[in-house]
Amino acid sequence: MSVKVLNPNAEVLNKSAALHMNINAAKGLQDVLKTNLGPKGTIKMLVGGAGDIKLTKDGNTLLKEMQIQNPTAIMIARTAVAQDDASGDGTTSTVLFIGELMKQSERCIDEGMHPRVLVDGFEIAKRATLQFLEKFKTPVVMGDEPDQEILKMVARTTLRTKLYESLADQLTDIVANAVLCIRKPEEAIDLFMVEIMHMRHKFDVDTRLVEGLVLDHGSRHPDMKRRAENCYIMTCNVSLEYEKSEVNAGFFYSNAEQREAMVVAERRSVDERVQKIIDLKNKVCSGSDKNFVVINQKGIDPPSLDLLAREGIIALRRAKRRNMERLVLACGGEAVNSVDDLTPECLGWAGLVYEHVLGEEKYTFVENVKNPHSCTILIKGPNDHTIAQIKDAVRDGLRAVKNTIEDEAVILGAGAFEVAARQYLINDVKKTVKGRAQLGVEAFANALLVIPKTLAENSGLDTQDVIIALTGEHDEGNIVGLNQHTGEPIDPQMEGIFDNYAVKRQIVNSGPVIASQLLLVDEVIRAGRNMRKPT
Amino acid sequence: MREIVTIQVGNYANFIGSHFWNFQDELLGLAEIPESDQVFKNHSLDMDVLYRTGETQQGLLTYTPRMVSVNFQGSLGSVSSRGSLYYQIPAKHLDVMAWKGRVTTHASEPLKRNLFLQSLNEEEQESVSKANDLDNLNNNSQAEIQDKDIVECLESDVQYWTDFSKVHYHPQSLYELSGLWTDIQDFDNYGLGKEAFCGHQHGEEIDDRLRFFIEECDHIQGIQCVVDDSGGFSGVSAMFLESIADEYPNVPVLLYNARNPSLHMDSKGRKQVISRNLHDAVSFSRLSELCKLIIPVGLPSLSGSRASQYLCIKDEKPYHSSAVYASAMHSFSLPFRMKQPGPSAESICTSGALDMYGMVKMLTGQMRQNMVAILDVAMPTPSLSVDRAQQSFLGNLQPLIPDIAEDVEDFHAVEAMNIHGAVTSGNRRASISEVKDAVEAAYDNSVTQRPKFSHLSASTCPLPIPLPFPLIFGNMVGQHGELLETPISGSPSRGSLEVHSIPMATRLRSSTAVLPFLESKLGNLRRFGIERGALGAPLLQSWGFGKDEVEDMGEVLSKMVTTLKPHLEYSSDSD
Ligand SMILES: Nc1ncnc2c1ncn2[C@@H]1O[C@H](COP(=O)(O)OP(=O)(O)OP(=O)(O)O)[C@@H](O)[C@H]1O
Ligand SMILES: [Mg+2]
Repeated sequence: MSVKVLNPNAEVLNKSAALHMNINAAKGLQDVLKTNLGPKGTIKMLVGGAGDIKLTKDGNTLLKEMQIQNPTAIMIARTAVAQDDASGDGTTSTVLFIGELMKQSERCIDEGMHPRVLVDGFEIAKRATLQFLEKFKTPVVMGDEPDQEILKMVARTTLRTKLYESLADQLTDIVANAVLCIRKPEEAIDLFMVEIMHMRHKFDVDTRLVEGLVLDHGSRHPDMKRRAENCYIMTCNVSLEYEKSEVNAGFFYSNAEQREAMVVAERRSVDERVQKIIDLKNKVCSGSDKNFVVINQKGIDPPSLDLLAREGIIALRRAKRRNMERLVLACGGEAVNSVDDLTPECLGWAGLVYEHVLGEEKYTFVENVKNPHSCTILIKGPNDHTIAQIKDAVRDGLRAVKNTIEDEAVILGAGAFEVAARQYLINDVKKTVKGRAQLGVEAFANALLVIPKTLAENSGLDTQDVIIALTGEHDEGNIVGLNQHTGEPIDPQMEGIFDNYAVKRQIVNSGPVIASQLLLVDEVIRAGRNMRKPT
Repeated sequence: MREIVTIQVGNYANFIGSHFWNFQDELLGLAEIPESDQVFKNHSLDMDVLYRTGETQQGLLTYTPRMVSVNFQGSLGSVSSRGSLYYQIPAKHLDVMAWKGRVTTHASEPLKRNLFLQSLNEEEQESVSKANDLDNLNNNSQAEIQDKDIVECLESDVQYWTDFSKVHYHPQSLYELSGLWTDIQDFDNYGLGKEAFCGHQHGEEIDDRLRFFIEECDHIQGIQCVVDDSGGFSGVSAMFLESIADEYPNVPVLLYNARNPSLHMDSKGRKQVISRNLHDAVSFSRLSELCKLIIPVGLPSLSGSRASQYLCIKDEKPYHSSAVYASAMHSFSLPFRMKQPGPSAESICTSGALDMYGMVKMLTGQMRQNMVAILDVAMPTPSLSVDRAQQSFLGNLQPLIPDIAEDVEDFHAVEAMNIHGAVTSGNRRASISEVKDAVEAAYDNSVTQRPKFSHLSASTCPLPIPLPFPLIFGNMVGQHGELLETPISGSPSRGSLEVHSIPMATRLRSSTAVLPFLESKLGNLRRFGIERGALGAPLLQSWGFGKDEVEDMGEVLSKMVTTLKPHLEYSSDSD
């Protein structure tokens, strides 16, 4: 993370003024983001100077769209975005937690406490909270067949914070199935193998999971079929276009005949490559009703397209690099870099390939594949900002499912964890701490409550009542969260409200680190001078 | 057809691009109206090279540049990044379709459209409702006044490149980098640019936009990139070019890296000068590695240079200086889209078609591997008539970069010259063969030595001056760009209302004349970056360069120098 964000003026400001500047910046950012939090949060419609609309309820997206200039706010924003990069969720919570840590600190500092002591307390509290998190988490056993129910509950919890309920519920199955589709035993889950594709379409919102691939381009030849069944899929990265190769580099001094001869030779070698593909097609397809589809990462020029079209082959050019990998995972076969030694084993398979045209936009669906390890989530929406909003939600949902599988654990949500951790710190940890660092632990503990408090506030509930009810239950040994409709305590387990372990863990980790840096203004600046990246 | 995809990275690059596309739009428009000059109606230029045909979901046909522009969030002013061509369902009622909870709206102050954009908008509305505009004729006198007001309003205030753009762009074309969280002034180094490209999935999104345009090309001839070679955008450009080199290794990339003269005006202190010189050196070295031909442009003072002898430029106005660089870019790239006549036929409108690959090979691939071309321009080009040609035709071509040696003896020099819309005695449009003869004569009479190889392309079509164009012509320039015997009295500078087109000549040179330019870059890098205790070493580190990288960059520059000095051994570790 860059440290350029430091305000050069901080050096001349006196320490206390700088400190308060940091506190105010953190609180300011918290104020902007707090209405976002949870399923009862507010969505923000940002209208730019030229009338462009962005719609978001996501902390990460919102931060990106904001033109933040205050260096402290930038530092917090970067932490929050890093949170999203690492675990895919929890940006809003991160910003709120940092803001609240600063707010709690302000109270102590105004009473004459030294920031250093607070920071010591934070450190103790952080370690204790992380240990507590280990005890608190709900393990999920991930055998060969992961527990789909729990995966769906986690996905639903995040999706419902971003989309209205029935849309979220429709997407829940889609994201869970998408991750299960690409999961391979013993391998890390690569979410890039889920393609997210969108179409601007009429007035409604619709999303579906395509087991297979959707490409955002079509064939470029008028005679190629728009629909074919039982298709061999050839995935390749081979130039099928005439290129002036390096060989004729000196062509300016060569005569017209020589030049012509070189052109002919080059064309011939392209045609030969095309012919090898045609040969393979004839080998596998002749005498059957099978079809042949070439999906190439490199270019295919019109003469080559002609040759292929004449043989009934469908060919797509300039496929995305990542689709090479996805195609092989979806259809089987392998991606070939040369047409020498082509064998039928290189080929993949799809039951159906068809093109869909919307104005100038073309889409190619490669579907009905066997045993796919790559898939596509296709989002349809009436305008860009709705599509973008759904896309963000889908990303969050996918990450939530992936995290659950990899964490082999989930955390009870709706504020349950934060209240539990707070009570643990106050009731058990604080008394083991000597001296004034106790106050740091207490400040940390109370800062955790910002999550249930804000959830309550966004639901229009009285925060004090809610906190009293929740802490009361916890002290009696009942792990409860907040019912956002009634304000009553509920059992998140029963309601299926689960958050990701990795997300919570990172929030607990990074919040106090940044807060401490902001509190020890002096040291931030000193560190800033030599924290440059080594590369 | 041989398509070109254009890339514009950075604020100044987009200013240049904006003028460039205005020229193209003007050509397209002039070809259609009955009253325009024959040279515009029949120019033998294939616009499809630069433009794509498309169709909206409503079935409306579109014709838009194949272009990807990258710039700051907020740099588009009052224009939407999606453009206005591809109609979208009005958002109003359907706004929040995927959320049923509370909504708050945070609207920025709507940016006011300037007079020019307003009139553009009105024109569009009018053409939409052509059916019921009977009283259009009466508006003519009013329109006249407006043109003057438009020119004036642009002259006094252009903030964004979109302020003077009359072109419709495709929704995939304009990309804004969001989430940078810095002021433009603070986005001032390569490292920040690199970070920006990699962050927030910007890089992937930008690559995708480019792929959209390339996939459509049946047979792409190359990618022309206009980039800022200073500040953070040099880093953004380098990263973008890197991924292009990776993805399309056989597609020629021609780099036009430009520098805003106003940048030179505000680095005063020694520290700033070191920083700027060092940054110039590293970004030049980096960018040159990622293309096939590099054409640096950017005079520290364009206004005071001989290249602008007939112009009045205000260096502090990017709107002014970018118009010159855009004109030059238009001119030298004309051969890329001259229609190739049949093998025997000679076109009467154009001659000397050359594709990008040919141009690159010609300039870089001869006896030596020099890939830096000097761009000279004569704007406007004086009459070719004999009396003038003898003394000044070649002399009028003046470089657009500093540190170019004059009258060097270079036995391997290669040139590609393009002349279009030239006039000859009596201010008559010169024919193609007259242009050829005049160039021959000029070489023959010239005191400087002829290049070893030179390619001439010519076209009868001059540079059209669109309405949104700065008042940069001096009072010696006539309506058709001809140079007048006596200056016009009155206002010292003239614009699109007075000057409608100009003849242009440009020349790309591969020549040892570029040595001082390269050596100064190399010298700066060594002095401030590589030598022991170099003052700029920490700076380089803060831009994200390791020691090895810096040495590699020195290596790259010194290779560029040695290739032009084959006889002198240039030792790379000399101090
Ligand atoms: N049904 C629910 N009832 C109560 N609280 C809920 C419910 N669903 C989710 N939550 C809580 O909402 C919080 C998450 O809200 P949200 O997703 O808006 O913010 P975030 O994850 O911190 O940030 P972002 O998603 O913007 O990156 C978690 O604390 C979660 O426990
Ligand atoms: Mg969330």
